[in-house]
Amino acid sequence: MIARGLLVALFSLIAAPVVSSPELAYNLEAREVAPDTWVIEGSTGNFSRDNGGNIVNVSFVITDDGVVVIDTGPSRLYGEALRRLVESKTSQPIRYVLNTHHHPDHVFGNQAFEPETLYMLETGRQRLREDGDAFSDNMYRMVGDWMRGTDVVVPPNTLQPGILDVGDHRFQILELTGHTGSDMVLLDETTGVLFASDMVFYNRALTTPQSPGLMIWAGEIARLEALPYRIVVPGHGPVVSDDSAFRQMSDYLEWLYQTMSMAASRGLSASEVMQQSIPHRFDGIEGARYELIRTTSHLYPKYEQAALELLPE
Amino acid sequence: MTRLTMTLLLLAWAPAWAGIPVDPYSSPMWQYNIERYLGNVTSVVLDEQIRVEVPPFAENSSQVPLTVDLKDFSGTAREIVAWVDLNPIPHLFSLTPGPTPTTLLSLNFRVQQATTVRVAVLTDEGVWHLGSAYVDAAGGGCTAPSMTIANPDWEKNFGTIRGGAFSRVEGVRYKFNVMHPMDSGMVSGVPVFHIENVIMRDSVSEEPLLTMTLSESAAENPMLVFELEQQAPDAVLWMRDNNGNEFERRLGGQL
Repeated sequence: MIARGLLVALFSLIAAPVVSSPELAYNLEAREVAPDTWVIEGSTGNFSRDNGGNIVNVSFVITDDGVVVIDTGPSRLYGEALRRLVESKTSQPIRYVLNTHHHPDHVFGNQAFEPETLYMLETGRQRLREDGDAFSDNMYRMVGDWMRGTDVVVPPNTLQPGILDVGDHRFQILELTGHTGSDMVLLDETTGVLFASDMVFYNRALTTPQSPGLMIWAGEIARLEALPYRIVVPGHGPVVSDDSAFRQMSDYLEWLYQTMSMAASRGLSASEVMQQSIPHRFDGIEGARYELIRTTSHLYPKYEQAALELLPE
Repeated sequence: MTRLTMTLLLLAWAPAWAGIPVDPYSSPMWQYNIERYLGNVTSVVLDEQIRVEVPPFAENSSQVPLTVDLKDFSGTAREIVAWVDLNPIPHLFSLTPGPTPTTLLSLNFRVQQATTVRVAVLTDEGVWHLGSAYVDAAGGGCTAPSMTIANPDWEKNFGTIRGGAFSRVEGVRYKFNVMHPMDSGMVSGVPVFHIENVIMRDSVSEEPLLTMTLSESAAENPMLVFELEQQAPDAVLWMRDNNGNEFERRLGGQL
């Protein structure tokens, strides 16, 4: 018996790595935030091998003439799980799959959907063509095996800003620029749900690698806030039914702007800006230090240049 | 090999690194780069008063900010040498302060991969005080083409210098930026083309306030910050690149 026990123990030692190799799965769950309107809320963390890049909010609206999917997630695996989830909620066909902007966590699930259903703003399509492969390299580096089999798919269809009628829902499509230079925001006029995409981060620090400028972004937040919305679905962070996400965005953008301007006028170096203290009122914003370091890299050089005088020869 | 010969070999080997402490970051290039940049028989101590500030990760591998803060350093710096351990050409700069101590300096560097960064400060006693920092990076900063190369109009801005002087509680901070591709020579078909010498002088006494040499690890369009303990009446900046272009500007007078 002892010998047999040893044999079993030995066998399981050998077999263990194969048997227990974890199957990567996102286990997506959707919440109905308004009639026919479902949101899959990601974490407010950063890309990692633990979360598979599931840090993003993805939504879908079930109309009586097909489903509108808003963003597709960070990987092929996510896209496939998303598609199964949509199909478990309705027998309506997926009519439109919209990519709000060209960042990888919003478009790398595109492979799971029929190409003819994929739509994006024209500038966004261009940017995805230009930056997609570099984003992909970076995602494989940060997220690892979750990305297996993921390829960049640029939507073949261009979506124009304006009105999009799908079944019993009417969407207003806006093209803004603050986050990436081409940011699609949708207002579902039927339900009052505003799909703000990454124009709005809530309790998660905003990211700036392609932002044309903090004050441009702040101006567009004011424009969004004036829309007749009832519910705001941010690109990252919890869904809210008041103006708290807008207020936080304006406050945070203003603080970033002031921090960069003041630092430049005092002649601070970039490393000094990265270490600036973050006000306690932003304690609830995840990733604020990490993103301040990134934002300083992206945007501070312009502020520095502007604060220096041209020295004549 | 007998035990005796091994012992003898060890004894013969020992003096080369007798003065080098253990690297807190365990970099494989620790001893090699110390000997390369500080000389063979050196006295080195780790010193937390040499504050080496880099971000924990490089958002842009071609432009990683470094600030060297010597405000807490009790010794007098005779020479400051900085290098990036795992870069193809690790050396970043060597700086000799003038009679007025340099209390802080900053510039951006490139990283080829995640690496330790070292700053060594030589004192009057002949001891190198060494500070370190680690930066994580996706890398590739040394072999990426400069942004300047992608810009057909680069010659229009070439050599444009912006600057400012900022008063400090004690002393003055000079900050300036020069448009220069700073090509590392590691991109196929693009020869090395970078600023090698930077000198700041007191315009009245002509004394150098500091003398600096830059190497290939320095980033494109350098943004340099120097803080001096005392304010010079007026400073003159002079730079020269490896193609013989010289740049000279007045820095002071805006306080």
